[in-house]
Parts: sequence; C-alpha cells; structure tokens
Amino acid sequence: MIKDYLSLALRSMRHRQKRSWLTIIGILIGITAVVALVSLGQSMQRAVNKQFEEFGYNLVTIYPGSLRGGFRGAFSATFEIDTGLIAGVEGVEAVGAMLYKSAYVKGGEPPSQVEGFLPVIGLSPGIARVFSQFKLQEGRFFTDADHYAAILGQNVPKDLGVEVGRELEIEGQPFEVVGLLAESGMGDNNSAIFIPLETLWEILGDRGKVSMVWVKVGQGYDAEGVAERLKARLKEARGKEDFSVQTMKQLQQLIGQAIGILQAFLGGIAGISLLVGGIGVMNTMYTAVLERTREIGVMKAVGAKDSQVMWLFLIESGLMGLVGGAIGTALGLGMDILAVVITKRFIQTNVLEFGFSAWLVFGALAFSFVIGALSGLLPARSAAKLKPVEALRYE
Amino acid sequence: MNSPGLAPLIELREVWKTYRMGKVEVHALRGVSLALEEGEFLAVMGPSGSGKSTLMHLMGCLDLPTRGAILFEGADISGLKGTELAEIRGKKIGFVFQTFNLVHTLTALENVELPMVFQGATRSMRRARAAELLERLGLADRLNHRPNELSGGEQQRVAIARALANDPKLVLCDEPTGNLDSATGRSILETLRSLNEEGRTVVLVTHDPEAAAYAKWRVQLRDGQLVAAVKEAR
Repeated sequence: MIKDYLSLALRSMRHRQKRSWLTIIGILIGITAVVALVSLGQSMQRAVNKQFEEFGYNLVTIYPGSLRGGFRGAFSATFEIDTGLIAGVEGVEAVGAMLYKSAYVKGGEPPSQVEGFLPVIGLSPGIARVFSQFKLQEGRFFTDADHYAAILGQNVPKDLGVEVGRELEIEGQPFEVVGLLAESGMGDNNSAIFIPLETLWEILGDRGKVSMVWVKVGQGYDAEGVAERLKARLKEARGKEDFSVQTMKQLQQLIGQAIGILQAFLGGIAGISLLVGGIGVMNTMYTAVLERTREIGVMKAVGAKDSQVMWLFLIESGLMGLVGGAIGTALGLGMDILAVVITKRFIQTNVLEFGFSAWLVFGALAFSFVIGALSGLLPARSAAKLKPVEALRYE
Repeated sequence: MNSPGLAPLIELREVWKTYRMGKVEVHALRGVSLALEEGEFLAVMGPSGSGKSTLMHLMGCLDLPTRGAILFEGADISGLKGTELAEIRGKKIGFVFQTFNLVHTLTALENVELPMVFQGATRSMRRARAAELLERLGLADRLNHRPNELSGGEQQRVAIARALANDPKLVLCDEPTGNLDSATGRSILETLRSLNEEGRTVVLVTHDPEAAAYAKWRVQLRDGQLVAAVKEAR
C-alpha cells in the first residue's frame, strides 16, 4: 500500500519537477546548516576528547578560586599552596606546579634582533614527572642544576630567531636554550617560553605563588577519589575552600558542556531556516491540492477514502522533506570535512577531528521527513476534506 | 421486473436536493422517486440545469440528498459517513465522465489500476485485471500511453475500463459522448450496451436523444422533476 502511494507521490513530484526541486532546496538549506553545525560541534568535541586522551586521565589539577570565572580568570590568578602537603596525600604519585607570567624577551643577534612580550611559564621540577605531555623535539628537560635555562614552545624559534644551544634574554637576563617542545595540542604552549619556577620567582617576584598545580595519580588509584582526598586535605589545612580540584574527566565534561551549549545555540539558529523550508513545503502542497482538486474528486469517486487521500499528500510532502534531507545531510557533512581540512592544513590547529556519526545521519533524515510530513499535514487535511461533488466540478 | 421481495439496486424516494447560492436556495431536485432494478439500462435525459448531474451524483453516492431517502441495495445511505460512502463507491459503482477525468501523470494501465489501489489489491492482481480490461476494450497496444498520447475515444475507453476495475454492479455515465465525434460516440455507446447485456446496471445521463436510444428505459427531467418515462417492452 505504502509502496503504491510512494510511486504515486513520486509521479506527481516528477510532473511538477521545477517546483518540487525549489521546495526541496528550501529544506535542503536548512538541513545542511543544521547538520554542518551539529557535525562541527561533534568534531570539536572529538578533538577535545583526543587531547584529553593524550593528556591521560590520571591527572588532577588544582586552581586558585573556582572555574566558574572561566579559564582566563583561572590562568591569571595565583595562589600559594603547600606542594609538600599535596605530595603526602594517598594516591599522589607526582606533583608539579606552573606559574604563568608575561615577560619582555629578546632573541637573535643584532642587527636582526627581535624583542617583545611573550608568555613565560615557570615549571617546578616535578612537572617532568607529572607530564608525559612535555614531549621534547630537541634538547633536554631542566636538571636541578639549571637556573637560567629555557625550553621553547614549538613556534618560538621562528618568532624570536633563536634555537637550541643559543641564548635569549628574559627581562634582561641571559638564558640558555636547552630544549624545544614538540608541537602541543594546547595551542598556548606553542608560543610560550618555559623556565624553572625558581628562576621565574627570582626575576619577576611573586615568590611562592603558582597559577596551577598538576597532580599525577598513581597506578591503581582512582583519580576522582584522589581529587576528593586532595580537596578535603587542602580545605582542612587552609581553613577555606579558595581553590578548585578538578580531574581531567571533570574538566572534559565542563568543556563538553560548553561546546554543547554553543552547538544548541547555533543549531537553533539553523533550525529557523529549516522552519522556513517547512513553510515552503506547506505552500507547495497547498498549491498542489488546489491544482489537483479535480484529480482528488476523481480519486474519491473511484473509492478513495478521506484518509487515503490524506496519506497520498502526506507521503508526497514527506518525500520532498526526505530528498532535501538526504542531499542536505551530505552537504552538511561535506562542509564539516572541509572545515576540518582547512583548520588542519591552513590554520594548523587540531581543534577539529572529523568522524562519521550514524545517528546524526539517520536523525537528520528522519527529522527532514517529519518536517516535510508535518508541513504537509494541513494541506493534506484540506485535500482529504474536499467534497467529491465540488472537487469534480472544480475547473 | 425482478422477482418480488428482492430490493431494487438503487431506489430514490421523494428526493430533494437544495443548494444555497448566497442567499438564494436553488432546488436542483424536487421530489424525485425512482427505482432501478439490477440489469437495467437507464437514460436520464433533460436540458442543462434540469438536475441530471445532481441525480447522477446522488445515485453514485457522491453526495447526500437534502430531503428524502436513497436506498442502495435496500439500505438507506442518508445517514452514512464519508468513509462508508467511499466504500460503496469503490466496490459497487463505476463512473464515466464527459471529460474522461483521467489522471494525466499516470499511464492508461495505472489509471485503470487506481480504483484497485484504494481497495488494497496487490500489484500483480491489479496489473493483470487492468490489462485484461484494457484489452477487452481494444486498447491492448495503448497500455503504457499517457492520457495526452491518446485520442478522445481511447481516453473514454480507458475511463470505462477504470469504471469496471472493481467489478461494480452499477456504472454511471455522465454525458460520456459529449466530447466525442458521433462515430466514436456510437462505439462508446455500443460498449455500454454490451456491458449492460453482460448484466451490469448502466445509467446514462445525456441530453442527446440518439444516445438515449441505446437505453432500455428513458426518463426525462425538467426543473428537478421527472416529467416522462418510456420503458421498452422486453
């Protein structure tokens, strides 16, 4: 039965080809926008997840204040914290601290000397044990004997005209470049200079203060549990909760939520164009009902029930939605792939990671069919309700 | 006449049909009574505006009377719902129109299949039946032609085949020869006569006496009332 209706609907769509296509394009644009945005959001999420996986889930971070103020706030705030206390908590394998600063740096040889402000990050000796992420492309990590030694982010040699084994100046102090960091998924690290935390305190003050603490959880320990213990212990020692403890899972969830909100917002805007497409379908179907009034009369005369006439029109409008949806989905995914390629190749960041999502495809197809059918509902009802005698008389 | 006790195929009792045209009421039919036995060939004659088409619509269960009763196979249809009327039309009645009213996006074969689609017949059953009917009407080589590729006479034959698709008891024809030249018209009327000879009840609405001559029973409508009836002796 459905098959017969489908073939009848296809027939009538093919007969009104130009108008059918125009209607389909309306749906197509809406679905393309929705699919592209949802798919982009997923790609973003996937890239974030990949970075966290690189990081490893056995890390816990401790920030001053709370994350509610956003990451920017968290990075610029500092606090004094007893890393010895942290190291003593059960399940903590290693502790490292970081201090984010900005400093005046000078590099290269005159006459082609470059100078300006760059982020300078102080690393405590423990960082190397916490992070497998600090992969060096060249040179070595700091030793305890290093004071005026620097490790460069991936982009710094190009920006500043220095290389491993040469010297650069930070706040007027000469530093020896001992290492070059491999490209990092965390974009900020690529243009930063890393020096020992002690040295940073020495040249820029703020002794004892750090921006964040990284804790590596020992094997066999649950990161969440260690985070809870850390929180309790620190609260007890400090007398107040002026810090946040976050596992990588929690952080990942937080970022995921932020992406989700962005996605819902943009998807909503794209949804409006889908609505306009739906109205286009409704308009076309009303015209079709009007044009085919006599045909409807004939169908009723030969025994078509109201419900059968209704289904005939519903399937036709649903089909227009579905065709638009299928093409739109393909285009939307294509746009996502293009965005991924462009960001990787030309902007050289890995903020997007494409992956095929079956539920998105099926969801978009089902949704577009429903949009089409829903838009056809009113016209189909008016077709079904036509009185056979009047429909037959219609010129 | 059929044996007493058996209800007529369709019976009209004091049927009135009134249309509202703005503030004016137009009485298309004023108290028409008529009993049609199975196997009859009735011609309804009359000038335009006499109520012929209205009468045909009522006999075809396309519309309900304003007053009076219509009995189809002895059962009053006045209280029936749209779906039930559609059921009767689909199974028991076939229509042939003056303007053929074929669906122009469908081929001859598919047009004949259409009434069977709504009855839920399988595709193979429909195909076979439609092809058989079209062949019987001399259109064996026109099965896959669309209406605009067919002559008027051919289109009307397709329409007749469509009317016969669900093997109805009653075939209602509204000026079936009105858009055809006289030779083609005659051959269509011959076809209707042979349908009647096979036992099917045929109603022919026409203003053409020559066409009406093919019927066994002729009634005359004027201003919504039956004014004369001629019945041929068997």
